[in-house]
Amino acid sequence: MELETWVSTFLVYATVIFVVSFLLYLVRIVKGPTIPDRVIAVDALGFDLAAFLIVLSILLRSPILVVCAVALSLWIYALDIYIAKYLESKELGE
Amino acid sequence: MAVADIINWILVIVGQILIAIGVMCDLIAAILMIRFPNFYVRLHALTIGSIGGAVVPIVGAALIAIGSPFLGAYRWFLAGAGIVTAMMIYILGAVGSHAIARAAHRSRAAILSPCYVDHLAKDRGEGSCI
Repeated sequence: MELETWVSTFLVYATVIFVVSFLLYLVRIVKGPTIPDRVIAVDALGFDLAAFLIVLSILLRSPILVVCAVALSLWIYALDIYIAKYLESKELGE
Repeated sequence: MAVADIINWILVIVGQILIAIGVMCDLIAAILMIRFPNFYVRLHALTIGSIGGAVVPIVGAALIAIGSPFLGAYRWFLAGAGIVTAMMIYILGAVGSHAIARAAHRSRAAILSPCYVDHLAKDRGEGSCI
């Protein structure tokens, strides 16, 4: 079998499982009873979206997409720190 | 089959094993995020989802990118940036989950619904279960 078709076929199956797990994370984001529940669901969803972007950049043959994954993982960390500061002191700082 | 082809196939197979592990961790973490009862238990699902479900498949995708000549010369860029992203998630995921857990406990924003004991709140003199 050719290397390219082997890689593409495998990554298409992996993409399907990724999308299923994103939909399951969305259930917790929508119905999470408190703010921290929603935030950790968004957290896991964001880090997995970064992984999904890198898989997608191999699948679509466009390696430049990986820049979005770097920025996305840093934004998710910023979300964590902002929400933690908001919960502790009820203000977002300067 | 040349030696370079064999090395490419080995890199691709190892990368695919890592991506398969990562995808399974991702699905398990998504199911556990729904099934677990309260916030502090869901932190476990969060770290399965961020370390097992993001760091491991990103390293696997970087190995696949190294072993795939059809991606062109930019595959080295993809592999390097992928490994940097994996290292950042490895550090920042743990730091972020600790920060959010500490804030949720101190501000009592999370509901601790099946509560048996809470030594940290007891040490602060707030009662063992609130």
